Amino acid sequence: MGKYAIKAENVSKTFKQGVFKPKYTEALTGITLSVKYGEIFGLLGPNGAGKTTLLNILSSQLLPNKGNVSILGLDTNTMHMPDLKKLKMRINMCSGNPNFPWSLTVYEVLKFYSMLYGCGPFACSNIIEENIELFELEKYRNIRYDRLSMGTKQRLALAKSLLNEPEILFLDEPTIGLDPDIARKIRLRIAEINKKKKITIVLTTHYMKEAEQLCGRIAFIRDGRIKAIGTKKQLEKLTNKKNLEEVFLNLAS
Amino acid sequence: MLLRIFAFAYRNWIFAKRNFFAFFELLFWPVVGLISVGLMGGFLKLTPELLNFVLTGAITAGTLQVIQLDVAYGLLYDVWSKSLKHTFLSPVSHLDFLAGSWVIGIIRGAIVFALMTGFSGYAFEFSLPSAGYTAAFFTGISLSALIIGMLVNLLVMLYGQRVEITAWAFASLIMLICGIYYPVSQLPVAVQFFSKLIPLTYFMEYFRLGYGFTPVYTNLLLKGFGLCALYIILLYTLLNVAYKRSRKTGMILRLSE
Repeated sequence: MGKYAIKAENVSKTFKQGVFKPKYTEALTGITLSVKYGEIFGLLGPNGAGKTTLLNILSSQLLPNKGNVSILGLDTNTMHMPDLKKLKMRINMCSGNPNFPWSLTVYEVLKFYSMLYGCGPFACSNIIEENIELFELEKYRNIRYDRLSMGTKQRLALAKSLLNEPEILFLDEPTIGLDPDIARKIRLRIAEINKKKKITIVLTTHYMKEAEQLCGRIAFIRDGRIKAIGTKKQLEKLTNKKNLEEVFLNLAS
Repeated sequence: MLLRIFAFAYRNWIFAKRNFFAFFELLFWPVVGLISVGLMGGFLKLTPELLNFVLTGAITAGTLQVIQLDVAYGLLYDVWSKSLKHTFLSPVSHLDFLAGSWVIGIIRGAIVFALMTGFSGYAFEFSLPSAGYTAAFFTGISLSALIIGMLVNLLVMLYGQRVEITAWAFASLIMLICGIYYPVSQLPVAVQFFSKLIPLTYFMEYFRLGYGFTPVYTNLLLKGFGLCALYIILLYTLLNVAYKRSRKTGMILRLSE
């Protein structure tokens, strides 16, 4: 096992829209980064910077036009279906504004996804219960997904993302649109998961507080390019600013 | 793999159980169609054989539609829930969601088939031919529905939600070409070429053979099942290609936004 859980080298992504008069949108250009095992790595940047696109590439859901991505030592560009399935068993993701099948209850959502990860309907009950307890979902167990509040949906998304006990967890704006107290609770849970289970976490955010509290290292992205990368202190020193918010404003302008 | 197939069957079952539109699909539309055809047959003073002929069409239409919708729902439930990326982030293959959805489709289709034949027998003195004809026919409908559902899934993977209408349109179009209420020989010659390419044409001819009607084609079951095998392999391969393409274009992610 090498030092890095994820390595991206010179990754670029362009989206094509339309057939007869295609428009090309350059989403990422020449991204190079690496994420160490066990660390929480933040992708910080303004809206439309390319954070989510990069996260989708790093989580093997999207292929880059150029460059190489290696996840847990496996090259996602050249990977065939059986290897991709094996990789998917070892990673998971939680997005802000999560969406799950609307007719299923909290328990059924967890049961459905745990079965997709190969856990039998009876064998998986332990891990489901553990996550229901961890994310305080007990009283919502039999409530349908479409009747849950935003905060509860978010907690359910986090619970779902731990069902396969992933080695790498991708979090896409995990506290977006949440009340401050719920956002705080979720951040505490993320830190707890990282500490207890030694899971490598890659998270996108545009909340400075979140990045400050959680991330060991941060990559600052703007217009699809990495502007700076390092620890909070390194970024402050690099930009000659006092806190991350000022760093953000400096790099975003 | 079996667990993943069971997972999709479990999800489709819950949707079918909890959503009112599922009741309409199962009972309302098929029975309304059947009553219309039965009453029209009475008005036209059709012989019992001819009435059986057209009622067979109504029963096929109801059953095929229900099964193929379930197969299409395997993907569409995720598209409508915007949860497709979570499904494809897990280690699933097309076989898992197709098989899981198809199983529920077959169960719902068997209910529709039993209800419609039972009601036709009660209201219009319809009777089924021998068990062999019925079993082969129901298997043929189920396989044809799987093919239509796979085609819908393929188009959604390629072109997104704007083509979801095909989930309802394809079955109707195919029934028109395969001679749902009439022998294929009634169709224009150019259209008959397409009829020959549709497995359901042969299964319907086979079933009506059980009532003593002379079929237009020969080797009905061989052609029907042979075409089914060919289309299922072809569509499964194309679905895998479409998935690989969607990882480049981001279609799955766009369908989850």
